[in-house]
Amino acid sequence: MSLKVAIASFAHVHAGSYAHLLASLPDIDVLSADPDGAGAPDPGPRGAEFAAQFGIPYVDSYDELFAWGPDAVVVTSENSGHRELVERAAAVGAHVLCEKPLATEVADGEAMLAACEAAGTILMIAYPVRFAPAYAQLRANVEAGRLGDVFAILGTNNGKIPYAARQWFTDAKLAGGGALVDHTVHCADLIDGLTGGASATRVYAAANRILHQDKGVEVETGGLVTINYDNGLLATIDCSWSVPDNGPTWGGVSLQVTGTNGSVEIEPFVAHIGGTDAAGEVFLPIGGNLDASLLDTFLDAVRTSGPAQPGQAPAVVPQPDGAVGLRTLKIVDAARRSAASGQAVDV
Amino acid sequence: MSEELAGLTVGLIGAGNISRIHAASWKAVGARVLVYSLEGAEELAQKYGLEVVASREELLAAVEFVDIVTPSATHKEITLAAIEAGRNVICEKPLTLTASDSHEVIDAAAAAGVRLYPAHVVRWFPAYKAAYDAIQAGRIGEVAVARFYRQASSPAGAGWYRDVARSGGVIMDLMVHDLDQARWLCGEVTTVYAVQNPPTVDGVSPVNVAAHVTLTHESGAISHCRATWGATGTTFQTGFSVAGSSGVLKFKSDADTGYKEELQNGATAGDLLIPESALGESPYLTQLRELAIGLRGGPEPRVVASDGATAVYLAEAARASMESGQPIDMKTFVSTGAVA
Repeated sequence: MSLKVAIASFAHVHAGSYAHLLASLPDIDVLSADPDGAGAPDPGPRGAEFAAQFGIPYVDSYDELFAWGPDAVVVTSENSGHRELVERAAAVGAHVLCEKPLATEVADGEAMLAACEAAGTILMIAYPVRFAPAYAQLRANVEAGRLGDVFAILGTNNGKIPYAARQWFTDAKLAGGGALVDHTVHCADLIDGLTGGASATRVYAAANRILHQDKGVEVETGGLVTINYDNGLLATIDCSWSVPDNGPTWGGVSLQVTGTNGSVEIEPFVAHIGGTDAAGEVFLPIGGNLDASLLDTFLDAVRTSGPAQPGQAPAVVPQPDGAVGLRTLKIVDAARRSAASGQAVDV
Repeated sequence: MSEELAGLTVGLIGAGNISRIHAASWKAVGARVLVYSLEGAEELAQKYGLEVVASREELLAAVEFVDIVTPSATHKEITLAAIEAGRNVICEKPLTLTASDSHEVIDAAAAAGVRLYPAHVVRWFPAYKAAYDAIQAGRIGEVAVARFYRQASSPAGAGWYRDVARSGGVIMDLMVHDLDQARWLCGEVTTVYAVQNPPTVDGVSPVNVAAHVTLTHESGAISHCRATWGATGTTFQTGFSVAGSSGVLKFKSDADTGYKEELQNGATAGDLLIPESALGESPYLTQLRELAIGLRGGPEPRVVASDGATAVYLAEAARASMESGQPIDMKTFVSTGAVA
C-alpha cells in the first residue's frame, strides 16, 4: 500500500532534496503546499512552480494539504513556522519529519513534543550528518571503547552563508538567529548521538558579525560555542558561516573526538575522488546521499509503526528524535543568551 | 656560521627536553656554548660539543648572554640572577608562571639595562609566519573567527609537567603558544573564557586532558585555542583556521607540509614533544639567530618581553576563568601572583 507523504513549505533549501527523493521512490504518493512561498523575497522559484520543477503534485493551502489525510508530513518551513505545522500534522495523526532546528524557542519545542506524544506520532528531526558513513564508524568505535573515555570534542560546521537561495536564514525572527542557530545544532546532534543523550549543563558562546558585513546581514555570522555536559564531557562548536562565497561547496563539517586512547577526526563531506577534467578540478563525493538515508530511516519507521494511535508511543522511534531536537535546541537557546549577555549560562 | 654572531659565547642553563634543539641551534650558528644544569649537562655537552661549567656564577661570568631552558617554575629566579649579573637573557616560554612575575623580571631588566626575550618559537614556524604576513597584507580582510589547536603526547612521565605549581598545567605549558598566536594574528584580547576536562585536582593535572579557551579581541574578532595532552604516543600536531571577511587561511601540521612518514621495523619514533620541521631550517634555529642578533643591537625581534608577559597573563586569566566558571574581563583582570 502506498504511503501518503506531504511536504509542508519549500522555505528550507532541503525541500528540493526531499521532493526529488520522494518523487523517485516507489509506493509513495506526494502532495505539497507552500502557501507562503509567493511572498518570500527569494530569487528562485517557490510554490507551484517549485513543485512543478520536481514533478510533484501541489495544493495552494495547508488546509487542503492536511485534509488530504497524509500518513507522514515533512516540515521544511522557516524555523519559526515549525511548531504550527508539526502541531497540525499531529492533529491529523500524521508522523513528522521536521527540519532542524526543532523550533526557535524552547517552549515551542516542548509543545511540539507534547503534541506528537499525545497523538502517538513519530517526531524525527532532519539531522542528515548522523547518516554519514564516517559518523557511523566513529560512533561504532566510541561505543566499542576503542577511544577509551571520551573527554573532549571539537566540532566545526562552517559552510557558506545560506543567503543567496533563501534569505530567511538571516532573519532573526524567522530563523531564531544566525549562525548560532543554523549551525550549532548539527554538531550538537552528532555529540548527542555519541554520548547517548548527555545533557548540556553550561554553555558559553562568543559571536560576531564581521563575516558577510557587506550583505547587510543583521544576525551573527560567526560563533564559538563551548559546552559542558552532565557526564563531564567538554565540547566546542565553531558554527561560523566562514566558508567564503567563492570557496568549495564541500567540507566545512568536522568532529574531532579525543579519548584516553587517542582521537578520531571525521570530515563527513570530504570522502571523494579527486583529479581534473576539462572544466578543472574534479571532486566526486563518495560518502553517500545522507538525505536519502535519513528519509529511508523515517519512511521505514512510518511503515513499521503504522497509523498513529493517540496516547501510544509509535512502535519505532527513529533517531534523531524530538528529544534530541529539544536537547540541541536548549544548547542553541543557551548559546544565544550567553552571546547576548557575555556570560556563561547554566542550562 | 653567522657573521653577525661572530665570536659568540652563549650560556645555556638547563639540559632537559628543549635544551637539545637549542644546543644544536647554537652550534649551527657557530657559537661557543657553556652549559650549566643541575642534571644532564655532561651528556648534553658530549652530544653537542658544549663545555660544562660547575656553577651558575661561573657561567654568568663567562658568557655574552644566557639561554634559559629550565623547568618553568625556575625561570624567574634564574632570569633575575642573570639580570643581576648584567647578562642579556633569552628565556624559554612561559617567561614566568604569573604575569606579575613577568612584570617583575621585565622591570628588573629595564632597570639594569638588560635585554630580555621570551622564546615563543611558534612565531618562527613558517606556516604561522605566512599566515601572519598574509593577514597583515589584507589577504583575508578583517579577521572574524580563528581556531588554533595543539596536541602532544601526555608529558606525564617527565615529572614536573603534571605539577601545576611547576608547569602551570596544559594551558600555561602548551596552549601558551597559541594564546600568543591568537594575539599575534587577531590582536589584543578583551575577554578570556576557559574550560578544561578533566579538571585539575589539588594542583595535579590529569594525565590526559584537554583545555578549550575562547578569546574575544579588541577588533571584535573571536578565537578559540584547544590544547590536548593526549594518550601516550600521541603525535605532536598543531594547526589553525583563520576566517576573515574576504577569505580563510588553514593549516594542519600533519597534512600540509609535503612530508609524511610511516616507518616500521625498529625505526626510532619521532620526538613526541618537540616537532620536527619538514619545511627547511629548524624554526628553533631561525628564532635563536634572530633573538641573538637582537641582543647584539640588531633589529628588534618579532617577540619581545612584553609579548611573553601577555601570553602568561592570558594563561593566568584562563585559570581564573576556570575557577569562576565565567569569562574574565581583561580590562580589569589583575595577576594575583598565585601559581596554581
